[in-house]
Amino acid sequence: MASYAYYPGCTLYTKARELDLSARKALAVLGAELEEMPAWVCCGAIYNTADDDFAGRIGATRNIVRASALGDTLVTLCAACYNVLKRAKARIDDPANAVERERVLNFIDEPYEREVRVVHYLDVLRRDIGWDAVKAKVAKPLAGLKLASYYGCLMVRPAAVLDFDDPEDPQVMDELVRALGAEPVRFDFKTECCGGYLVVNRKDVARESSARVLENARAWGADAVITTCPLCQYNLDRLRDRDGLPVLYFTQLLGLALGLEPDELGFDNCAVDPRPMLAEKGLL
Amino acid sequence: MAEGKSRRPEVAGPEPAGTQSASTDKPAISPVSRRPRVGVFVCHCGINIAGVVRVPELVERAKTMPGVVVARDYQYCCSDPGQQIIRDSIKADKLDRVVVACCSPTLHEATFRKAGEEAGLNYYRTEIANIREQCAWVTKDRDEATDKAEDITRLAIARATHDESLEPVGVTVNKRALVVGAGIAGIQAALDIANAGYEVVLVEKQPSIGGHMAQLSETFPTLDCSQCILTPRTVETGRHSRIKLHTYSEVAEVSGYIGNFKVRIRQKPRYVDFDACTGCGLCMEKCPARVEADFERGMGKRRAIYRLLPQAVPNRPVIDAEACIYLQKGKCGVCAKVCPTQAIRYDDTEKFVEEEVGAIVLATGYELLDHEKMSAYGIGRVPDVIDGLAFERLLSASGPTQGEVKRPSDGRVPKKVVFVQCAGSRDREHGMPYCSKICCMYTAKQAILYKHRVHDGEATICYIDVRTPGKGFEEFYQRATDEGTTYLRGKVSKIFRQGDKVMVWASDTLAGRKVELEADLVVLASAVVASPDGVELAKRLKMQLDGHGFLTEAHPKLRPVETLTGGFFLAGCGQGPKDIPDTVAQASAAAAKVLAMFGQDKIFHAPTTAWVDEDICVGCGNCELTCAYGAVKVDLQRGVAAVNVALCEGCGACSVACPSGAMSHRNFSKKSIYEMTEEAVR
Ligand SMILES: Cc1cc2nc3c(=O)[nH]c(=O)nc-3n(C[C@H](O)[C@H](O)[C@H](O)COP(=O)(O)OP(=O)(O)OC[C@H]3O[C@@H](n4cnc5c(N)ncnc54)[C@H](O)[C@@H]3O)c2cc1C
Repeated sequence: MASYAYYPGCTLYTKARELDLSARKALAVLGAELEEMPAWVCCGAIYNTADDDFAGRIGATRNIVRASALGDTLVTLCAACYNVLKRAKARIDDPANAVERERVLNFIDEPYEREVRVVHYLDVLRRDIGWDAVKAKVAKPLAGLKLASYYGCLMVRPAAVLDFDDPEDPQVMDELVRALGAEPVRFDFKTECCGGYLVVNRKDVARESSARVLENARAWGADAVITTCPLCQYNLDRLRDRDGLPVLYFTQLLGLALGLEPDELGFDNCAVDPRPMLAEKGLL
Repeated sequence: MAEGKSRRPEVAGPEPAGTQSASTDKPAISPVSRRPRVGVFVCHCGINIAGVVRVPELVERAKTMPGVVVARDYQYCCSDPGQQIIRDSIKADKLDRVVVACCSPTLHEATFRKAGEEAGLNYYRTEIANIREQCAWVTKDRDEATDKAEDITRLAIARATHDESLEPVGVTVNKRALVVGAGIAGIQAALDIANAGYEVVLVEKQPSIGGHMAQLSETFPTLDCSQCILTPRTVETGRHSRIKLHTYSEVAEVSGYIGNFKVRIRQKPRYVDFDACTGCGLCMEKCPARVEADFERGMGKRRAIYRLLPQAVPNRPVIDAEACIYLQKGKCGVCAKVCPTQAIRYDDTEKFVEEEVGAIVLATGYELLDHEKMSAYGIGRVPDVIDGLAFERLLSASGPTQGEVKRPSDGRVPKKVVFVQCAGSRDREHGMPYCSKICCMYTAKQAILYKHRVHDGEATICYIDVRTPGKGFEEFYQRATDEGTTYLRGKVSKIFRQGDKVMVWASDTLAGRKVELEADLVVLASAVVASPDGVELAKRLKMQLDGHGFLTEAHPKLRPVETLTGGFFLAGCGQGPKDIPDTVAQASAAAAKVLAMFGQDKIFHAPTTAWVDEDICVGCGNCELTCAYGAVKVDLQRGVAAVNVALCEGCGACSVACPSGAMSHRNFSKKSIYEMTEEAVR
């Protein structure tokens, strides 16, 4: 069984517990395992872009160094962790920053066993496992379900560094949706802002942003929105009245399609309960 | 036709019998039958050369070089007295080769070769040492420049020492032209050539001629109706006794060379006998199958048996086999039943026609950028986001709505229309880096025409720059603003549907703010791209294309309608985006070049071509693969390569590719290259 060093990050231990659980279980069905890396620390939550503030990037780099004990690949799920870790790694990989790299690694002062690649869980599905293999393991095809894949900003930008997908019209979750037997909805707000951290001090702005994402997804006929970002999930799902489109983590529907028990997938954590909709589609 | 090639019609060169024989003659091996007598003439070019290179010193050094019997300098060698010095010296000093150390050979090689010829020296025995562009202009230090000029001159002398006397290759000209593409470019070129008295074969892939101009409503900057100015031309073309029209046809194959091409034309099955058909149109009325009409760009439907438009030339319908119920299911046959002249032929097949021509004009035109490339603009997904040509159809009096502007989703008259310029143009990330040139003008036109149709309508144009270089263009743009069009400066980032509205996210960079516009209809000025069918054909013909698929002209300034392949000319949007006036001017220019060629009985081709030493050649075919002009072919029976000198442009690629050294270049032999190299590294 392939095993990957895994960095869950703080949110997946708290608010986004269902993302973590459903992802681990689903991957097990697909014949791979997430091995939580030892002694992980905060990723920094937002990538520090100030050029001279490398202390702000030390946490992220330390995680990479520690993950090197387990292997050459570090898997993450939270869009923010992915963004920060991948950019921190790119920063020290850039030959122009050789001096900084040395200073940071010296400061961390732990064995950096090998070069580590930071990848997203979706990369594992797409590149290592492959859509055909995923399709082959689908026990309950999500037939009749129309899903709007919402990527937000952190998964795809800055495009040159993340090199994850088309920054304006990303496809990877849509490909997954197809593999699971559901229908991807091509909508216009795939990468528009959900409001982000404005939810803290300008709830009105965040509410307007997230409402438009949902509105557009609904206009294109989506039954639900899927995401991989806990902040997007929160803003879309919670900044509104308790009706409308369910907003789920893609791993929850992956788990459902792979035949996991609905009870294991944390559907009850969603503000808008997706179960009535899923039941109506004959999927529960 | 390159000027160098059509030179000196009075000198009849050797007839290339089948054009192969000339290539296999070995250059006479007569290196030291007589010691070479080289004259060197160094030009000051005012201070261009003499300001950097020490010319008197260069002359002294040249005098000591092998074979040189005289070396002189002069202020301007290209002037009449300068040329006279060379002519006199050839006679007085019995020179058998000349080297002129001066500017680039692209400027005055012909001048000096001609001067030498007038004094009895073979045209191909004068060589240029470029000591201006390659030395004086790029070197600062005078000593260094003088040394370098000496090297360049010595190399040219080494080359000249091996020069043979050559005669240009004469080729007879078949005075018929092929024009590919019958948009306004192809039509104009065909008419000009035909009206000068020569036959034209005009090939068009669509069922009728006219190209995109037939889709337009009214034309900037005068707002004359496109159909009204086009139909006189299409009618004249259709009736012209010297124009042979092949519509619904494509060029399958071209072989031969300048002056003597063989063309194989593939005619698609039409299922209608054009001779029997009278064009009455009854079949089109009765046909029960309706499909989207490509010509209407999603704004209207047509029958399975159809013509593009009422004024079609030829006025004959064709059957779209995929849409035809009878051809798909074997049932129906209504058109055959109602046809008063029994012109329907369900068993029609594709046919091939052979034509022989001497010159070819490529006028394959343009298309608009693929919708898929602009996914952020919603086109193809949101019904009320359409492109410029679709809007032309809505505006057109003979269009699907008879000129009433109705939006596709619900047929309502849009009260707010947003026009988006540079949709894919000047956009390195999503579309094309270049400016499509016509969109600023046609968008202004469309806004004006929209307001003429919908008086209380609001027209907003999102632009990044407005470019109006053309006669009457700036005034026309002013008219659009005067008539109430709002211009908003900033690029559009996203277009999407919201309810029954279309939302446009743009910016107003003059006010420095983000804007969201609500529209009933959005019209994209999609980037103009080379027609994919034209690109496909050009690639098969080994035409040079730029990075975007537009045909490359032989020289961007001085030879704008010729291609690098002899006998091929270009016109219209296949060369680059342009409006109708520019297209027509270019088409007439291409016709003039064809006519200049047809004015001669023979054309002459530079003899500095490749040649094969058949004793060495093993027939591996590397040369054939390398040749961009299709001029080298392995003769399979004899197992050796043969050069068609009429096609060969003398580029030298085959000599480089040849592993055995059998392929060489007249007056640029391996031996002369070795010797030049030796001189260079001495
Ligand atoms: C929306 C819009 C509005 C415009 N409005 C104006 C205006 O108001 N005023 C103005 O001056 N200009 C206007 N133009 C520009 C105008 O359309 C062009 O200048 C003109 O049509 C170019 O003519 P063309 O013959 O070069 O190309 P085309 O019209 O594209 O003709 C090319 C022809 O070649 C045929 N063809 C292509 N490939 C092959 C092949 N392999 N074999 C055989 N046939 C082939 C095509 O079917 C077509 O018939 C407008 C353009 C657009 C997009």
